[in-house]
Amino acid sequence: MKSSHTFLDSKVLSRLLALPLNARQAMTGNVSGRHRSPIRGSSIEFSQYRKYVPGDDTRRLDWRTWGRTDRFYIKEFEADTNLRLALIVDASGSMAFGPAGATRLDYCRKLAGTLGYLAAQQGDAVGLWGVGKDHRQKLPAKRGAAHLKLMLDQLAELKAKGETTILESLHDAADRISQRALVVVASDFFTEPAKLKHALQHLRFRRHDIALFHVLDSVELEFNFDRPARFVDMEGGETLLADPSLIARRYREVVKKYMAEFDEVIRTTGADYHRVLLKDPYEDVLAKFLLARLQSKGRR
Amino acid sequence: MSFLQPLLLFGLPLALLPVIIHLIHLLRRRQVKWAAMMWLMAAQRMNKGLSRLRQYLILTFRVLAIAAIIFVICRPLAGGLLGLTGGAPDSVIILLDRSASMEQRLVTTGVSKRSAGLQNLAAAIKDAYGTRSKLVLIDSATLQPVPLEKADSLPDLPQAGPTDTSTDVPALLQGALDYITANQTGRTDVWLLSDLRQSDWNAAGGRWQALRGAFTTLPGVRFQVLAYPETQSTDMGIVVEKAVRRETADKAELLLDIRLQRGEPVAEPLAVPIRVVVNGASSTFSSELKGSQALLQAQSIPIDKTTKRGWGRVELPADSSPGDNVFHFVFDELPPLKSAIVSDRGEVSGPLLAALTAQADLSRKYEAAVLPAARLAEIAWDETGLIVWQAPLPDKESAVAKQLDAHVRAGRSLIFLPPDTPDASAFAGVRWTTWQNAPPDKPVLAEWWRSDAGLLAATRAGPALPVGEVEAQRWCGVEGEFVPLARLGDSAGKAPLLLQTARDGSGSAHFLTTLPGPGSSSLARDGVVLFALLHRALTDGASALGNAQQRVTGAKSLGEDAAAWTRLDVEDPASVLPIDRPLRAGVLKKAAAAPGKPDILAALNRPPGEDAPPVLGKPSLDELFAGLDWRLLERTLENEKSLTSEVWRTFLWCMAVALILEALLCMPGRRQAEAKKAEAMKEVAA
Repeated sequence: MKSSHTFLDSKVLSRLLALPLNARQAMTGNVSGRHRSPIRGSSIEFSQYRKYVPGDDTRRLDWRTWGRTDRFYIKEFEADTNLRLALIVDASGSMAFGPAGATRLDYCRKLAGTLGYLAAQQGDAVGLWGVGKDHRQKLPAKRGAAHLKLMLDQLAELKAKGETTILESLHDAADRISQRALVVVASDFFTEPAKLKHALQHLRFRRHDIALFHVLDSVELEFNFDRPARFVDMEGGETLLADPSLIARRYREVVKKYMAEFDEVIRTTGADYHRVLLKDPYEDVLAKFLLARLQSKGRR
Repeated sequence: MSFLQPLLLFGLPLALLPVIIHLIHLLRRRQVKWAAMMWLMAAQRMNKGLSRLRQYLILTFRVLAIAAIIFVICRPLAGGLLGLTGGAPDSVIILLDRSASMEQRLVTTGVSKRSAGLQNLAAAIKDAYGTRSKLVLIDSATLQPVPLEKADSLPDLPQAGPTDTSTDVPALLQGALDYITANQTGRTDVWLLSDLRQSDWNAAGGRWQALRGAFTTLPGVRFQVLAYPETQSTDMGIVVEKAVRRETADKAELLLDIRLQRGEPVAEPLAVPIRVVVNGASSTFSSELKGSQALLQAQSIPIDKTTKRGWGRVELPADSSPGDNVFHFVFDELPPLKSAIVSDRGEVSGPLLAALTAQADLSRKYEAAVLPAARLAEIAWDETGLIVWQAPLPDKESAVAKQLDAHVRAGRSLIFLPPDTPDASAFAGVRWTTWQNAPPDKPVLAEWWRSDAGLLAATRAGPALPVGEVEAQRWCGVEGEFVPLARLGDSAGKAPLLLQTARDGSGSAHFLTTLPGPGSSSLARDGVVLFALLHRALTDGASALGNAQQRVTGAKSLGEDAAAWTRLDVEDPASVLPIDRPLRAGVLKKAAAAPGKPDILAALNRPPGEDAPPVLGKPSLDELFAGLDWRLLERTLENEKSLTSEVWRTFLWCMAVALILEALLCMPGRRQAEAKKAEAMKEVAA
């Protein structure tokens, strides 16, 4: 890889290459691949018999069945196709949270870049959607090394700034990605769960497999400040004077309520949800993600 | 609120330091770039009211704590309920009740109400006003305003010393009003030091309304009544009602009518030792007191036959009111009881002459002369105790009017009867109007009269005079300011039957509105009321005659020349200042006006009202001061608490309370503390 793709760790990649990236449901690809397709194909795996109708390829008639039953049946086999992986990476201002070099965006970049590389290595198409008012990256899913490089380059160029447009981006992705795809979203999801629910339902309506990486920091969850401070919004620049000793309890109540609502959204939409802390090793997170998918390989 | 170090109050803005520091902290607060603003704002919204309130409370308590420290070092003074607030007034007028009852003292310390009040007042004025206000003293004895240099000198002033006089509180207030009006004193605090004796305050008098009205029009006048109303019910008082020398063939004696009185009746007969001093020689006898009063009539004190005249006193054992434990008397060969009847009508003068020459006291000689108005010059003014005037009132500027006025002011009696044809002339502000007649055969009866005091008072034994049986066929109306002593019935429109002119100093004249003869009233026919009335007036008037006189203390009790009198009952007569001589009880002597005549002896005693213990209550004072800005400060002699006191301790407590509350508000909540503790434990475990 190019030296600018520092978010990719070759050791991690080599370890994770042993785990395939599977979709939890059948995919519709352009070429043959390792993922199940809803369309019958010519693989060696038998699928079902069906009655012959004029126009069917006579080469696929099962003569033995004709001999036994004097009826024409077509013998169908499973079709394997490739996967379309749409990586949606939030690049709003809040994604810059964290120490320099280990921000939330850096973390998401590692997650998305590694997943993209793994998908490309198994012949799947990979696309990238940058989320943010100042980001217009809409790289459609394609296969090939050149496209992978382009995707990784664009991923590396993402800068965390501006207000989030995660909801608009999800709706946009749902509208634009015409074929079934695995949509992986990496964000802090600082938006209203109810609105997020609509966006996810939109994606589900388009039969996409949704995976969410909810990346947070423990400081954001626990709010362990010891003295009053002026809090500056990383997205809008708005400031707020707050005394943690006075509001910490309320803050935790708010977080708890938000998480409960978020879990309800996930339960409703059936998304593959992973709450990640910045201190968690991304390799472990991805390994867990891939292993879980291994067990629930896509149904047709 | 007053302060001993008021300049330090300029440091009060320092109390805003916590607010300033808070604002600086706001500006200097560290910045945290925060992504989860959505959660933080929601938490802030939920916590906004309580958080702000807590923050404001913390700031408030810090400000209060610093303000309290500043107040502490300013050494604040509190006047309790005094209302020593609003800074020093332009003028402070002290009205001092110097009556005899103000000398009631605490037996253990010997401090009198007057002395304690003055000390307290001087300290309060010094502390509260400093030298910023002009101080003026008006005392009840002289009614003269005396400017003061400083409050410290108040207790030592001769004008603030003890007297045996009574106090005319309305006159005191009138003095203050005159002073304020004449000197334009600006914002004025009027301090009135009194024991609230009803007899001094004369709450039923007609002057209060006018005073209230006048003070209401004066802006910035505030009244502080410093009162010592406490009375001692076990105190006893003694009065000599009569002192007569009697001589028989074998002895001479002094007969004293002595009255003992006690505030509260005794449960069992109480033996009271009475010491009698006659011309310097003393003797003691014991008397028994039952109930609250005892009257010892004609108590015989043997004297030398050669002692024709002299002086003396009776004394009771000391108690908390020394003023009423002593009563002075003088005695002499009694002068004849002379009266003069000025009338041109025989049917009027006849009954009067008969009554006035009848001997009510067999030991006295009675003389009466009937003079027509044209022979007024024949009146022996210096020897006549009673003048009955049934003639037109003299013109105010005439010599006769002045002589009559002097006669009244000398303490002698004067009774006016209506003339046949009343004119516009007036005496002491009272004049005759017109004659009124009752319907034929329907005379008007007297319906109301004062039976407690005055010429128509009940007899000493108790029964009232039969004034209600007095019938009037005709009567003459009167106009002016007077005190009615008897009134006729409704059919006469409650017209006054007998009245007394308003007192302005000493002496007063009486007006009887009907004539004693037939066709006018039944006074002559029934006789009892007329006899009692005339003889009482004559006895009162004659008490100011002769060379041994019983007088009541007062500024004018010794006439215009008090220096001409010398105290007889003290070892160093010069020690009693001339200004005090008419004001203190005692026996005085004045050299005879003409050679060969005996000196004049006078026994000065407290006014009878000073022996009456009832005091005014707060409701009565509320009525008297209605509409005025006033406060009542009641004190007792046992209560040595100053009117003003330093209250820095209170502010110190306030500061402590403010700091404790601030600390409580700053403490982290329980959950927060537990979380921190758990965190610390984790770190230790790690």
